[in-house]
Amino acid sequence: MLKYTITKEEYTVKVTLNGDLDIEGTELINDKLIPSLLTAKVVEVSLEQVPFVDSTGMGLLMNLVNTLKDSSITITISHVREDVFEVFELLQLPEIFGKEVFV
Amino acid sequence: MQSIISKGKNVEDAIHIGLNLLGVSKKEVDIEIITQETNGFIGIGKKQAVVRLTVTNELSKNIEVQSHSTSLEDLANTVTAMVEKQDVMNETPVNNHVSSTDLVGKSWVKDQRLYVVDSPSHYSTVTIGKGIQLIKNEEVFSGTSTVITEKDLLEIKLEEPQEEPTKWNVSIDNNKLHATIDVEPGYKIIREVQDVEPNEHIELKVRETKVFSNTLQYKEILEKLDALRVSYGFNHSEIMKSVNTLIPGRFEAATGKNAVAGKDGWIELNVDINPMNGLVEDESGKVNFRETKLIPTVEKGTVIATIHPPIPGKPGITVTNEPLPARQTNPLIARTGKGIIEIENKLVAMESGRPSIEIRGKLVKAAIVPKLIHYDNVNLTSGNIHFIGDVEVLGEVEENMLVEAEGDIFIHKSVSAAKLTTAKSIVVKGNVFGSELESGKNNMLIVELGHLVGNMLVELGKMIAVVKQLMKSPAFKSSDFSVTGLQPLLKILMEKRFRNFLISAKKYQDTVEKSKIYLKEGEWIKVSETINQTFITLSNQITTLDRLATLYQDMKELSNQSEVPVEPNSYITISDTVNSSLYCSGDVTIIGKGSINTKIHAGGIVKVHGVVRGGEVYGRMGIEIDEVGSNSGSKTVVAVPHDQLIKLGRVREGTILKIGNVTETIRNERTHIIARLNQDGQINLT
Repeated sequence: MLKYTITKEEYTVKVTLNGDLDIEGTELINDKLIPSLLTAKVVEVSLEQVPFVDSTGMGLLMNLVNTLKDSSITITISHVREDVFEVFELLQLPEIFGKEVFV
Repeated sequence: MQSIISKGKNVEDAIHIGLNLLGVSKKEVDIEIITQETNGFIGIGKKQAVVRLTVTNELSKNIEVQSHSTSLEDLANTVTAMVEKQDVMNETPVNNHVSSTDLVGKSWVKDQRLYVVDSPSHYSTVTIGKGIQLIKNEEVFSGTSTVITEKDLLEIKLEEPQEEPTKWNVSIDNNKLHATIDVEPGYKIIREVQDVEPNEHIELKVRETKVFSNTLQYKEILEKLDALRVSYGFNHSEIMKSVNTLIPGRFEAATGKNAVAGKDGWIELNVDINPMNGLVEDESGKVNFRETKLIPTVEKGTVIATIHPPIPGKPGITVTNEPLPARQTNPLIARTGKGIIEIENKLVAMESGRPSIEIRGKLVKAAIVPKLIHYDNVNLTSGNIHFIGDVEVLGEVEENMLVEAEGDIFIHKSVSAAKLTTAKSIVVKGNVFGSELESGKNNMLIVELGHLVGNMLVELGKMIAVVKQLMKSPAFKSSDFSVTGLQPLLKILMEKRFRNFLISAKKYQDTVEKSKIYLKEGEWIKVSETINQTFITLSNQITTLDRLATLYQDMKELSNQSEVPVEPNSYITISDTVNSSLYCSGDVTIIGKGSINTKIHAGGIVKVHGVVRGGEVYGRMGIEIDEVGSNSGSKTVVAVPHDQLIKLGRVREGTILKIGNVTETIRNERTHIIARLNQDGQINLT
């Protein structure tokens, strides 16, 4: 089951996702995480603790990135595991989000 | 000094041989062992023992002193010799062959040995060629040129003979119809030092001799063939040839029997269904419109065609003695339309009328075409005409009116600023003025859709591959597929990676939507619906990989179908045309005064019996025009593909001829020309 921890600094919110980013995380991301981030200026998401993803999970990530971008919030995604990034690249997520999102 | 160098299978033996030759006892000589014998390995690298025996009595020493200072005779006696492949070697035999005075200060090579005679005034020099090692006083000389004297102990070493074994392989081709032996016979390169005449400076050169030998055995081949399970169709004479050949070659050790192709199902027509002679000229070149034998008809009960079942092919045998199935033969599928039934492979007319048969690939569509005769003008009073069969209009087609038919359109008077569209042919007896005529609309559409499907097919294939690859990725969970299907994934893929697919898919859908009435084949619409559900609206229906694969197959089928030209072709035959556009998947024939400022596109031949002034004419199968070009300067373009001809009776200045991608503008009026592309890709006018 997916969990997340948030540490807030002045303008930057750090989010660490923990667990598989999959269909079971739909409510958590869409209903809880996204609304709580809309007040931030900069959001840094760490995927260090995410070993597996599924297609719904990537859709959630896309929704997260697009929603924050629409609200003019800068978002970065970091510490993506190699295996997971391979999946992202197959779907060309870096091209969709913009290469600057992945750090 | 009397000294000899002697060789033997061991040191003892070498000394013994030397003493015998000198005729002295062991006590009278100094013995110097130059090389100990080496046994080598199974004869390779074996070397004999070499010793130098020098007679030690006073007389001999005196001679030595003399010889060094004066006597030429004795100088020659002290030739130092190199020993190679010789059991015993001394200087005297050499001495017998050459006049010693000529040899002073010179060196030479004979029979693999290097000889030298010193001179008080200069030294003999030798250049060492490639592949040769000079061992001077038991040390390998590393430079390319050196001075040699009698005192030097000289030895020439050559590279070991180079040997390549016979290489061979037996392979079976993919169809298992041929077992082939590839042989590259082995060879041995033997190296020798070339003889050199005595000279003050000599060069040592290697002479290489290549000797081929084929060590391949008949038995070896049979064993290999057995290992490959080849058991049918041996060619023993070819195998023998491969064993005996001394040049590299390929031999067919066994040949299978190829399958004999069968014949697909076909249709045999019993009646004339091709009304191509819509309007014909008589002998005097006039066209009699009363003689239009446009429509062949059949009576009720007539057998219009027989559908023959496919004839299966004969299977072949592979070299591994397996049956090779013949290509699957496909039956012709008959779709009977209105007024036709199929009884025991026969198509029978159930109504009287014009039979229509359309053959596209494996599909035959047969129907009796109904006919609408409109006795008046087509105008606002009558309304537009849409009809599923043939349409005959006895009057005119007036402005802004539309006649749309699935069968042939026949207009007895003129067409002004109107539109005629049909899947079949168009004949207009009057003028065509400012109108748009499209015949073979169905074909045009199918070519267009086929192109789109072809594009999508490539992308879909890649998409399926990506999904499969993804499912193999270690960090990817496909558990949600059972709940949501592939939809979320496809959505992401459409975002970027397969954006082009989405563009093609939307275009395809639009085209199908707009032209539904011409698409009698339901498959095009079915594929359009599936694409819509799967990729565009992303409906709730769960998409699986199997569904994508099925769609891929359906699209492939359509793509193949669109590449098969439909037969018989449609045609447009009209009298005259002004400011119009004619599109036809078959021939366009203008039999009256000609065509003015009209755009003509024909999938077949364009024939104009009058004048073409202005406009563009394209004939995929060639163009024949009596007169082309205008004096007023309006642009006239006549175009064909690169492999077709343009025949013109008279062509005026300024006319542009286009063959393939090559364009030529006519500078001077000419008559009776045929334009074609020559081998250099230029337009040739004859």
